[in-house]
Amino acid sequence: MAKLLVVDDEANIRLLYSQELSDEGYDVVTAASAIEAAEKLQSETFDLAVLDIKLKNESGIDLLQRIVKERQNLPVILCTAFSCYKDDFSAWLAEGYVVKSSDMQELKDEIKRVLAKRQKAAATAS
Amino acid sequence: MDWECCWSREEIAADACPYIGEGEEDLYGSQRRRVVEKCVECPRFKNDLARMKAEGHPLSDLLPYILAEFQEQKSQMGAMLSFLNSKTREIKFLREVSLVLQTSIDIDEVLSVAMTAITAGKGFGMNRAFLLMTDKERRNIKGYLGVGPRDYEEAWRTWEDISRSNFTLKELAKNFQKTKLTSEKVKFHDILEQLTVPLADQGHIFNRALQGKKPILVENALNNPDLDRGLARILGVDCFLVMPLISRNRRVGIIIADNCITHKPITLQDMQSLETFAFPVAFALERASLYDRLQEEVTKLKLANQKLFEQQALIVKMEKMALVGKITSSIAHSIRNPLMVIGGFARTLLKASAEDDEKRSYLESIVREARQLETVLSEVLDYSESLFPVMDFWDLNELVSATLADLSEGIEQAGVVLVSELSPDLPMVKIDYKQIGYCIKTIVSTALSHLAPGGELRVASQKDASGVLLVITDTGPPMSEEDQESLTAPFFQTQEMGAGVGLSLCRTILERQGSSLTLAASPAGGNTYQIKLLTRKESI
Repeated sequence: MAKLLVVDDEANIRLLYSQELSDEGYDVVTAASAIEAAEKLQSETFDLAVLDIKLKNESGIDLLQRIVKERQNLPVILCTAFSCYKDDFSAWLAEGYVVKSSDMQELKDEIKRVLAKRQKAAATAS
Repeated sequence: MDWECCWSREEIAADACPYIGEGEEDLYGSQRRRVVEKCVECPRFKNDLARMKAEGHPLSDLLPYILAEFQEQKSQMGAMLSFLNSKTREIKFLREVSLVLQTSIDIDEVLSVAMTAITAGKGFGMNRAFLLMTDKERRNIKGYLGVGPRDYEEAWRTWEDISRSNFTLKELAKNFQKTKLTSEKVKFHDILEQLTVPLADQGHIFNRALQGKKPILVENALNNPDLDRGLARILGVDCFLVMPLISRNRRVGIIIADNCITHKPITLQDMQSLETFAFPVAFALERASLYDRLQEEVTKLKLANQKLFEQQALIVKMEKMALVGKITSSIAHSIRNPLMVIGGFARTLLKASAEDDEKRSYLESIVREARQLETVLSEVLDYSESLFPVMDFWDLNELVSATLADLSEGIEQAGVVLVSELSPDLPMVKIDYKQIGYCIKTIVSTALSHLAPGGELRVASQKDASGVLLVITDTGPPMSEEDQESLTAPFFQTQEMGAGVGLSLCRTILERQGSSLTLAASPAGGNTYQIKLLTRKESI
C-alpha cells in the first residue's frame, strides 16, 4: 500500500483528501504546515507527497524545493487553487500539477500515474 | 503788329487758339502760362518768329536758341516728372505689398501678393510670372506656381475684368488667393514640370542668377547662340527676366517674368524695380515656409502629446484593471477551497449513499452546482490572467500540434476526422503562448461540439500579408448570425460567467494581443473560425 503525505493548511480539505485517497487504497498521512510536514518526513517514509502551494507560514513551493533537495526520491504533486503557478519554473520541480477541484478524479489519476512511473523506474533500476 | 499766334495778347477769346483743350480754359486769361505751355510749341508761333526774322527783329536770331534750350529743359523736366511719378507709384506699391509681406505667415497669401504684384497693371505690369522654389532635400530648383494668361483671349478677359474693378493691389491679391490660386497652380503644370533644375548644375541660368545674386535679363533668346534656347522654347518667349530670390544668403527660389502677350520689351527700370521687390518676397517666402514647417512640427508634437495622454489614460485603466483582476483573483481563490470541500464531501456522501436513497438527488444537486461554480471560477481566473499577456515569439505550428495532441482523446471519442494542414516555414508569431493555446483549445472544443460522428475538423495554418492565419473549419450545421454574434461578443459586454463565455474570452484575449478572431458560417454547411496573429511587434 502506497503511503502518501498530504500537506494543506485547511482542516476540511485534509479530511476530504484522507477520506477520498484512503478509499482509493492509499495510506494517507496529513500535515497542516510545512513544519509539521518536515517533521513527518523526518520520522516516516513516504511514496509520494501532495502539497498545497499556499500554506500559512511557508510557501508550498519552498517546501517542494526542500524536499527535492533533501529527498530526491520522493515525488511531489502540487495541488492548488492557483492555476497560474503552473508556469512558475520552481513548480516544474514537481512531478505533477493539479488545480483543486471538488471532483478529485484528476488528482487520483495523477497520483496513479506518478506512482506507476516511479515503480517502473525502480523495476528498471533493479 | 498783327501776329498769327496769340502770344502777344494778354487775354484771348475761346476760339483764338486751337491747341487749348477742354479743362485748360484758364489759359485764355493767363498770358504767361499760355506762352510757356502752348505758344512755344505752336506752329503759328514758329511762323511769327520767321516773320520777325524776315523783318530784321533784333531778338529773332537769339530767340530760337532760347526756345530750343527751353524745350529741352522742359522735356527733361517732363521725363523727370514721369520718373518721379513712376517712383512714387513704385514706393507706394512696394509699401502696400511690403506691409502684407512683412506680416503674413501664410505661404499662399505671400505667393498671391507676390505674383499679383508682378503681373498686375497696378504693380509691375508683367504679363506672366513663374515661381520656382529650391528643394533642399532633393537638391533642385522646382517649378511651383505660374500666374498669368495662357493666350490673348484670356489676357483680354482678365485685363478687362481688372480695368472694370477698382481694386487695390491688396484686394486683387486677396481675390486671387480666394478664386484663382488653386486653378493657377495646375494651369501651367506642363511648363512648371519642365523647369526642374539640379542645384549642382552651375552653368544653368537659374543657378547663375542665384550665384550672382543678380537678375539676368534674357533678350532675343531664340536667335542668340550664347543663350539657353531650351528655356525660351519651354516658356515660348525670347525675352524674359530671371530674378533670384535670396533671403539671408539662402537660395529661396527664382521668379521668371515675361511679357508673352504684349511682347513689350523689359526695360532696365523694370528689372531694377523687380530686384528691389525680390528681397521682401524672398524673405516672406522663407518665413512662411519656415512657419509651415513649424506648424508641421507643432502638429506632430500635438499628436505625440495626445498619444501620451492616451497612454497615460491606458496606464490608469490598466492599473484599475490590475486591481480588479487582483480582487477577482483573491475572491476566486478564497472561494475555491470551501467549494472544493462542499463539492468533495457531497461526492463522498453520494458514493456512500444507496441507489434508492431519496436524499441522493439533493447530493447530486450539490455536486453539480459546486462543479458549475468551479467552472465559473476558472473562467473568472482565466479572464483576470488574460489581462496581462506575456508576449514572446513562438512557433504556431508547434503550439497547434501540442493543443491538438491534448484534445486527441476528445476528438477520438467524438468520432470526428481531424485534418491538419500546417504550412511549413511559417514566421514566428508574437503571442502569449498560454493564452493562445487556450483560445485554440476553446475553438476546437466549440467546433467539436457542433460535429456529429463522422464529421470533419480541419485545422490549417498559413502565411498572410501581415501575419499568420490559423483557420479552423468544421462540417457541422452552420451557426446563425445571432449565434455567431452572441458567441463572439466582447467578454466585457456579455459577462455571463459559466454560460459559455469561451469564444468571447478568446476574442477578448486575441484583441488584447493585437490579433483577431472572425467567425463565418457557410450556408452549405460548416463554420470557419479564423485567427489572425501578428508576426511583428505591435502595440497592444
